[in-house]
Amino acid sequence: MKRFVLLVNAFLLLFAIAGEAQVPKGSYDPVALVGATAHTITDGPIENCTLILRDGKIEAIGSNIQVPADVRVIDCKGLHVYPGFIDSGTRLGLTEIGSEPRTVDYNEVGDVVPQMRALTAVNPNSALIPVTRVNGVTTVLAAPQGGMFSGTAALINLHGYTPDQMFAGFEGVVLTFPSTSRSGANDKRKPEEISKAASKAMKKLNEVWQKAVEYNKLDSALGDTKPDYYPELIALQPVIQGKMPLIVEVHDAGDILRALEWVREKEISKVIFAGVSEGWRVADKIAAAGIPVIAGKVLALQGRAYDRYDRAYANAGIMRKAGVTVALRTNEAYNVRNLPYNAGIAAAFGLGKEEALRAITIVPAQIFGVADRMGSLEAGKDATLFVCDGDPLEPATNIKYLFIRGWDIPLVSRQTLLYDEFLHREPGLQKP
Amino acid sequence: MRIFVANTIWIAVGALLVLTTAVAQDKELAPVSDTYAIRNLTIIPAPGRRIEKGTIIIQNGLIEAVGENVPIPPKAIIIEGDSLFAYPAFIEGLSKTGVKSPGEEEPGRIEDPGNPPPSRAGINPQRDVRDYLDPNDPTIKELRCAGFGASQVVPRGILLPGSAAVILLGGKTSDELVLKPRSACYSELTSNRTVYPSTVMAVLAKWRELYRQAELARDYAALYATNASGLPRPEANRTLEALYPVTTRQQPVLFRASKMLDIQRVLSLQKELGFVLILADVSEGWDLTEMIKASGARVFLSLDLPEDPAEEEKAKADSLSNPELKALVKRRSEFIQKMTAQAAAFDSAGIKFGFSAMDTKYSELHKNLRRMVEAGLNPESALAALTINAAQILGVDDRLGTIEKGKIANVALFNKPMFDKDAKVMTMFVDGALYTCFEKDAHKKSASAVEGTWRLTAQTPKEEIALKVVLRKSLGKHYGGTITGTRMPEGIELTDVTFDGKTLKFTYDFLLEGQPEEVVVEGEVEGKTFKGKITVGEYGNFPIEGTKDPER
Amino acid sequence: MRQFLSHFIFALIAFVPTAVIGQPEIGDVLIRNGTLLTVTKGTLENTDLLIRRGKITDIGKNLTAPEGCRVIDATGLFVMPGIIDAHSHIALEAINEMSTPVTPELRMRDALNPLDISIYRALAGGVTTIQTLHGSANAIGGQSVVMKLRYGTLNPSDLIFEGAPKAIKFALGENPTRIHGAGHNMVPRTRMGVEFVIRNALTEAREYQRKWDEYNEQKKKKGFRGAPPEYDDRLETLAEILRGNITVHCHSYRADEIVMLLNVCRDFGIKKLVLQHANEGFKVAPEIADFGAMASVFSDAWAYKFEVYYSTAYNAAILTRNGVVTSINSDDPGVIRHLYHEASKTLKYGGLSRDEALALITINPAKQLGIDDRVGSLEVGKDGDVAIFRGHPLSIYTVPVMTIVDGIVRFDREKDPDDMRIYVDPEERFDQSGFESPESYHDCLGTATATFNQLFENR
Repeated sequence: MKRFVLLVNAFLLLFAIAGEAQVPKGSYDPVALVGATAHTITDGPIENCTLILRDGKIEAIGSNIQVPADVRVIDCKGLHVYPGFIDSGTRLGLTEIGSEPRTVDYNEVGDVVPQMRALTAVNPNSALIPVTRVNGVTTVLAAPQGGMFSGTAALINLHGYTPDQMFAGFEGVVLTFPSTSRSGANDKRKPEEISKAASKAMKKLNEVWQKAVEYNKLDSALGDTKPDYYPELIALQPVIQGKMPLIVEVHDAGDILRALEWVREKEISKVIFAGVSEGWRVADKIAAAGIPVIAGKVLALQGRAYDRYDRAYANAGIMRKAGVTVALRTNEAYNVRNLPYNAGIAAAFGLGKEEALRAITIVPAQIFGVADRMGSLEAGKDATLFVCDGDPLEPATNIKYLFIRGWDIPLVSRQTLLYDEFLHREPGLQKP
Repeated sequence: MRIFVANTIWIAVGALLVLTTAVAQDKELAPVSDTYAIRNLTIIPAPGRRIEKGTIIIQNGLIEAVGENVPIPPKAIIIEGDSLFAYPAFIEGLSKTGVKSPGEEEPGRIEDPGNPPPSRAGINPQRDVRDYLDPNDPTIKELRCAGFGASQVVPRGILLPGSAAVILLGGKTSDELVLKPRSACYSELTSNRTVYPSTVMAVLAKWRELYRQAELARDYAALYATNASGLPRPEANRTLEALYPVTTRQQPVLFRASKMLDIQRVLSLQKELGFVLILADVSEGWDLTEMIKASGARVFLSLDLPEDPAEEEKAKADSLSNPELKALVKRRSEFIQKMTAQAAAFDSAGIKFGFSAMDTKYSELHKNLRRMVEAGLNPESALAALTINAAQILGVDDRLGTIEKGKIANVALFNKPMFDKDAKVMTMFVDGALYTCFEKDAHKKSASAVEGTWRLTAQTPKEEIALKVVLRKSLGKHYGGTITGTRMPEGIELTDVTFDGKTLKFTYDFLLEGQPEEVVVEGEVEGKTFKGKITVGEYGNFPIEGTKDPER
Repeated sequence: MRQFLSHFIFALIAFVPTAVIGQPEIGDVLIRNGTLLTVTKGTLENTDLLIRRGKITDIGKNLTAPEGCRVIDATGLFVMPGIIDAHSHIALEAINEMSTPVTPELRMRDALNPLDISIYRALAGGVTTIQTLHGSANAIGGQSVVMKLRYGTLNPSDLIFEGAPKAIKFALGENPTRIHGAGHNMVPRTRMGVEFVIRNALTEAREYQRKWDEYNEQKKKKGFRGAPPEYDDRLETLAEILRGNITVHCHSYRADEIVMLLNVCRDFGIKKLVLQHANEGFKVAPEIADFGAMASVFSDAWAYKFEVYYSTAYNAAILTRNGVVTSINSDDPGVIRHLYHEASKTLKYGGLSRDEALALITINPAKQLGIDDRVGSLEVGKDGDVAIFRGHPLSIYTVPVMTIVDGIVRFDREKDPDDMRIYVDPEERFDQSGFESPESYHDCLGTATATFNQLFENR
């Protein structure tokens, strides 16, 4: 079996060298990873650990595990095993090339479009996906953006040929809270204009929410008959009923406070705040409200000229110290692969190594309600993990093996293939 | 007997004057005599000098005499000056007082923004402000009644709008206003954002290139003039011709540079090219006094100062943590204080400067001067800056700047010493003509005349624009308001509203193709009607009129 | 709270504007007992470095501090040469003159803004020297500025790196064709047009140069009477490029356009060339090395436009292994704060050694800017530009703790107040923040992108 796999891989590699960029297929056979240090996240590190991966799950994990006979053994002496990293906010799969509008699928026309589902729009064959997972990021939230109710985000594993195959079991409605911030250096509106626009948006938000509550009441009152088709309000029902979280995108300190007040007033039971760039200004209030936060991106610029240069780096750490539950995101599309480095820099500027690691593993799993399946190395959880030769938050570390739900993913992407082809180009300078 | 005849003659002359001038002088009757005697008043004829209970004789547009115990000519109109204070009428160094807009540019897209018609790019040094003067422009009266008698004015526009002129703030025709034509070549580091040059580095590159081209053209023209034989005819280029006197250092460049970096850019340009430089509208110069001194540039400091909103803000609650906010507010106040103390800093550095009123609200000029004095500016230096220094910088100190025999009769009569909080300009003499400025009760009557909802329509070549303007009294400023209308469904806050009883002027920013353009509406209010013009950025002006809604 | 106030007061004292007229500030510092990452001469443990009057005068053990010299205890800390960013747009009040595609007469020096807070933020990331450039809207842009981050001065001239060779910006590909072709319906709209615009400009400059040389020759003759040719600053500057006095830094992405430019330069005798970004430079690394051009690239940015879709993060490593002097740049006011981290990615993408990775942000960009005799490594005789880190600079957990320029400490994390602005806005309100959209970075177009959107949307 091993030899066959090797042959297949060699054959495919030949294809790659010949110029046709082919990404080899993964394999699903059971595997034993032997002799590594396993960083369980929830239960500390296990030295000289063996993990048995079968049927997509971690069948067993421990330092005294017997390796069954039918299993492919991978010697991991001197290596480290981590659960696959989770990026809690990206546009991965929803866009390919930012400047080409026909490849941008995360921003639909309309202010109130919560019914737009990100999951089905994900492109499982995006060139960006292999580039991401070879760095250890296995799972991401693909989130719509733009307008007010931008759509419904979905958690996806970065392996599968259809969105259903990729779906990781969580969806949430995205609300971009009315913002009083300037949207970048090109926003030349006067402050009065911006606050006016924000209050208008606030009014609209309240109107929409009111309608949604009424619609939901009507629906339950009518019993079997359905009220008139109203897609936007139907999409908000799960949030009102407390079945699906509302992911609130908010950045400015004043806006955060207003958002906290708003979700409290509307009695929304499941809420996640995302972005929260100025969370450090109001960390106590967020902690008191008990609302989990997806912070990021860490390597961003701070929001005001008189802010310290490292506010964005230190944001997650400050909130964590105040008692806020913090997960990290890159809010990227092309470089989601840099999630571990965002976490590392957050660690260096106050979050600490342990919390930083949790912020990209178990904490997002808990926030998204999928902690029974991912986020740590425990028996019974998905075999979504990687093996590397050092601290995965350090750029110098290399990933040796990667598994997503038991599938052994080849660490090949367009970028590695280009390296193979062009490190020593044939023909070189002179072409005979 | 002689007196009787004299009087008769004068009555006849007076009647004639009334008839001939009645048409030009809208509701104002012509003066009976051109000789005035203002007696028994405190005179400050120049900084540091003071005459108690003195007399000023004005005749034929000039100061005939000034001092204690001065004989009063028989035909003089006598003005009792007890309780009045006379100062030389102030002079400011850069403004657009009395200057109309150059008129509509040809509209329409420019095919090649890299090679626009020079006028669209703002390259118009050949323009002369005298062609745009309007003696009836209400700004002349406004500035005059702030105590000013002379002003160096420039054409409206960007980059190189044309040559400046020193004008007297009173006259019947535009030529009559002019005291010194082509006093400077005016320039500012502004640009048309859609054509070359649009950025500051392109503006400076273009400036350098024009200068060098002018030098070459000038030399070639001189060569050609001595003996044209065999030489190709020089290319006629009025733009470059207008710059010849700048390159020969016969005409200074009046450069508007308010911010600290722009001042340095202009000084750098001057060092490189060598022209004679007058800096004007300087707001952030206190750290550059040594550099300015070394350059030899003359300076007009801006009379504009920002308000310090710290007091107003104390009331507002904020999401920022308090020690941080306190520190930020303190820094801002300190910076504003530095701006206010700028003139004092120039004074301490030994730089003789004047003032310029460009873009300053005329109603705030005195308040700002007081603030500068409170911040450490020696009142005598302030007066010098407003009078004799400004005159010297403009090269008209033989005729203006002090109250002395032989000089032009430009005198400001205040009811109190000029830096007093309640000081008002009661009467102005400009070019020997009397203008009454302060009338009791005039303000009270007009106060409510303008508050309310106005519906205005403007006619542009493309379409008719309908506007609804709601004016109200505002804290701190006199008036505030909002405007809605064609292509402005959401109300836009007016940035500035002034009303002097007759003239209503307001400005707001309108997003035209994504870029904020300043729109100015100005006109006369008569009861419930309004008639004036609306100016949109550099696109030109159009007539606008309308009425006020009746009160409920 | 008290700490905050004392830091603030210290800042007010420490950051009083330096002399407005005159020479840049220089100082004396003794850095003691650090791990010196010299870049060119290996790593020296427990070694001292002495800077006097702004220059490195001594590297060794147990150096003595001269009278009045500031002493910094670098025990346990890493000391490297100040980081050099060869591609930035900070400290400029304007970036792109978009009205026309050929604008070499512009000098970015005229737009310098020493008050830009991004300068301080870059210092906080260990950067001491940058090249700040015209944007990439134009096929031939303006002349750039090599400057040191002497934050605190009000005088733009104080920032300029004295004696740095002149440099100018060219740009190929999507940016100029989008702004001029799509935006104004002017040539260039295609890559064909970009080549033509550059060849045309250089040919006209040759013609201009010839006319003026002829005129100047004729003028020497006795009794000569004639009209001078038209003076054109644009063609003057292009002529300077042809004379070899200005290095061309060309923003370029695709392999074919890089080769196109190499050929154009050959045809016009232009030898001093640095390719900027060159995302596909790795595909023509042999050609670039053969020409002798250098490359300044991103660590891993890609896919935000089509011409960077077929990129690889292994670009820097491939170029290095093929003999091209390569640097890593930021082209972004946020990334400039962590260039040390960007360089560290080459440890993974291509397995460069630590010294090779550090060279990408020190001696290599110094060579590209023609200032490697002055900066880029810790060697006696070079400028006292040093960055000190807690943790090896190539580790993710490192924190820059001090940055020294010409022997003056311009960033000290121990004494680092929150508000580092030099001048403030008198009309500022304090209840407003501003955040860039997540898609805006590395676009070299700055505000040009927004205007482009308006142009494009109006069609």
